[in-house]
Amino acid sequence: MNRFTVSALALVALAALVAPSSAAPRGPAAGKHVHVGVIADVTGAAGVYGTPQKNAYELANEDVKSGKIDAGGADLVFDVQDAATDGAQVVNLMQKFTTDGQTPIVLGPTLSGEAFKAFPIAKNANFPVMGTSTTAEGVTAIGPTVYRDSLAESQVIPTTVKRTHDKWHYKTAAIIYGDDNAFTKTDGDIFARELKAAGVDVVDTETFHIKDTDFQPALTRIESKHPDVIAIGALFPEATKIIQQAGKLGIKTHMIGGNGLNAPDMYSVAGPAAQGTVVGAAWYSGAKYPSNVEFVKHYTAKYGKGPDQFAAQSYAAAQIVAALVKGGATNKDEMLSALKNVRSIQTVLGPIGFDSNRDAKSSPVILSIVKGGFTYFH
Amino acid sequence: MLAQQLLNGLFLGAVYALFAVGYTLVFGVLDILNLAHAAIFTAAAFAAFSLAGMGVPLVLAFLIAAVMAGIMGILLDRVAFAPLRARNAGTLVPLISSIGVAIIIGAVLRGIYGVDERHFTVGGLDTAPVIHAGPVTFTTVELTIFLAAIVLMLVLSWVLRATPLGRRIRAVAEDRVAAALLGVNLELTIAATFFIASSLGGAAGVLTALRYNSITLDMGGPIELKGLAVIILGGMGSVTGAVIGGFILGAVETLAIAYGLSEWRDAILFGVMFVLLVLRPTGLFGKRALRAA
Repeated sequence: MNRFTVSALALVALAALVAPSSAAPRGPAAGKHVHVGVIADVTGAAGVYGTPQKNAYELANEDVKSGKIDAGGADLVFDVQDAATDGAQVVNLMQKFTTDGQTPIVLGPTLSGEAFKAFPIAKNANFPVMGTSTTAEGVTAIGPTVYRDSLAESQVIPTTVKRTHDKWHYKTAAIIYGDDNAFTKTDGDIFARELKAAGVDVVDTETFHIKDTDFQPALTRIESKHPDVIAIGALFPEATKIIQQAGKLGIKTHMIGGNGLNAPDMYSVAGPAAQGTVVGAAWYSGAKYPSNVEFVKHYTAKYGKGPDQFAAQSYAAAQIVAALVKGGATNKDEMLSALKNVRSIQTVLGPIGFDSNRDAKSSPVILSIVKGGFTYFH
Repeated sequence: MLAQQLLNGLFLGAVYALFAVGYTLVFGVLDILNLAHAAIFTAAAFAAFSLAGMGVPLVLAFLIAAVMAGIMGILLDRVAFAPLRARNAGTLVPLISSIGVAIIIGAVLRGIYGVDERHFTVGGLDTAPVIHAGPVTFTTVELTIFLAAIVLMLVLSWVLRATPLGRRIRAVAEDRVAAALLGVNLELTIAATFFIASSLGGAAGVLTALRYNSITLDMGGPIELKGLAVIILGGMGSVTGAVIGGFILGAVETLAIAYGLSEWRDAILFGVMFVLLVLRPTGLFGKRALRAA
C-alpha cells in the first residue's frame, strides 16, 4: 500500500467520523435544497409569542443540520421572516412566499386574526400553509390548503370543561375573556357554549381588551355574583394579571382556562393565586415523548429559559415538514399531496395527524398549575 | 361592591392623572402635543426594573427612574422640539418628531430588554399585604402608589403656584415673547418644564409597573390614548383639569364595568368625553387655565 492510498483511506475514515449526518438515512429528497417560509411576529405587540416561535425554528435549523431532525438528507432550511404584528406585512410576506417559486409551504403567521388575512391568499394560489398558533375557530375552514398543528380551542376547551365539571360538580360559572382578539373571543364563545351544555348557569360575563392591566373592576363584579368557577379566555399577559388580582381581592373560586394559560412561568408571574388553576392545552413541557425531552433540554440550554407552547408547536411543525420532505415532498404540489396522506408523525406534541378539516388530530392535556410549573390534572 | 369599585376607580384615576399632568404641562407651555410622553413612561419603568434588579431599594429606584425620565425629557426637547422651535416650525412638525423619538426609544428598549414581559422580583409586590377595611380590600402597594401620585401632584401644584420657577413657567405659557422681553430665560424654563413633565410621566410609569408588577414594551399604548382623553376632558393645558379628568376617567371606566357594561367600556369612556365637550367645548377647565394654576 503506497503512501497515497493510506492517506486517502485515512481521509475517508476521518470524513466518516466527523460527518455523522452523511450516515443518516437518505431519501428521495437527499441533497435537494428545501426553503420553508415562516411568518412570525418577532417584534410588535405579539413579539412575546413570535419570538419563541423564531427560537424554535432556529433550533430546528440546527437540529436538521446535526441530524436530530431527519429530513432524509435534504438541505432543509426554515426562513423566519418578521411580520412585526402588522397585518399588511403578514399579507406581503404571504404573497412573497407563495409567488417566489422556491417555497413549498409556509408556516405561521402568529395570530389568528393575521391568518384570516393571509390564508385566503394561499388558498387562491392552491398553496399549502400550516398554522402553529392560530387556534381560533374557522381558520382551517378558509380553504383546502390550510392546515394547523395546534389544537383549536374548540378541541381543548370542551375537554377542560368536562373534566373539571366531572370533578368539581359546579353549578354556576362566570366568564372573563378578551373581546378584541380572535383567539380570546373564541375562548369566551366556546366556554359559554360548553358550560351551558354541561348544565352550568353562567351568572356573569366580563370582557376586556388586549393590553389591559386592571381587572379588579371586572373581578369585583364577578365576585358579587358568587360563581362556583371562573373561566378565563386570555393570553398570558392578561391571564397572569387576572389570576394575580383575583388573589389580591381574596377570590378563592376555582379558575379554568385554555391554551393561552399554558406558559412555563405562569406560577412565577401570577403568584400563589395561580395554584390549582386548571389549564387545557395542546402540549405539556413535562411530557415524556423522546423528542420532547430533548427539545425542552436543548431549547432551555440555548435560550436560557424553557420553551412555551408557541415554541413547541412551531418545532412540531418543523418536524412535520421534515418528515414530509424526507418522503420526497420538495415543491408545493408534492407538499399538498403529502399533507393529505399524513397518518401519524412523531413530534414534541406527541404523535400527530390531521382530521378531515385539516385540524390537528391529537388529544389535549389537562394540566393544573403548581408551584414551579404544571402537573397533570386528575 | 360599589365601595370597592369606587376605590378601584380612585387608584386607577390617580395614575391616569399623574400621567396626564405631564402631558398637559408641556402642552400648556409650548402648545405642542408631546407624543413621546408614553415612551418615557415606559423607559422609566424599565429603568426602575433594572435598578431594582441591581439591589437598589424600590423607593430609591423609583426616585432615580423619575429623575432619569426628567433628564430624558430635557434631551427629548433638545432633539425633537428645540431645533423646530428655533425655526418656528408650527405645531404639527414637532408632533411628528415626537412620534419619531417615541419609536426610537421603543426600539432601544426592545434592543436592551427584548420582548418578554418583565417583573419586579424584590419586595414581593404581588404578594403585598392585603388590607380589609369594611367593604373594601386593597394592598399596601396600591395605597402607597395612590399616595405617591397625590403627593407628586400637590408638589407640582405648589411649584407652579408659589415658586419663582413656577412663575416663570406660567409666564412662558401666557406669552413666550413677553416673558422673554421681561428677562425670563426661555430655553431654561422650557427645559425645566420638560424635566418636571417627563419625571411625572416617568413616575407614573414606575407606579403603573409596580401596581401590576408588569413591565412591557407596549405598556405606554393604552395610557397614551387615555391620557389624551384626560387632557381634552380637563381642558388642554390645565393641570387642575388633568387631575380631575384623570379621576373622572378612572371612575367612568370602573363604573362601566361595575354595571355590567365591560364590552362598552371604551365607548362609554369616550362617549362621556364627547358629551362633556359638547357642554363645555374647551374642557372642564378651559384652555390656558395653567396661567392661574
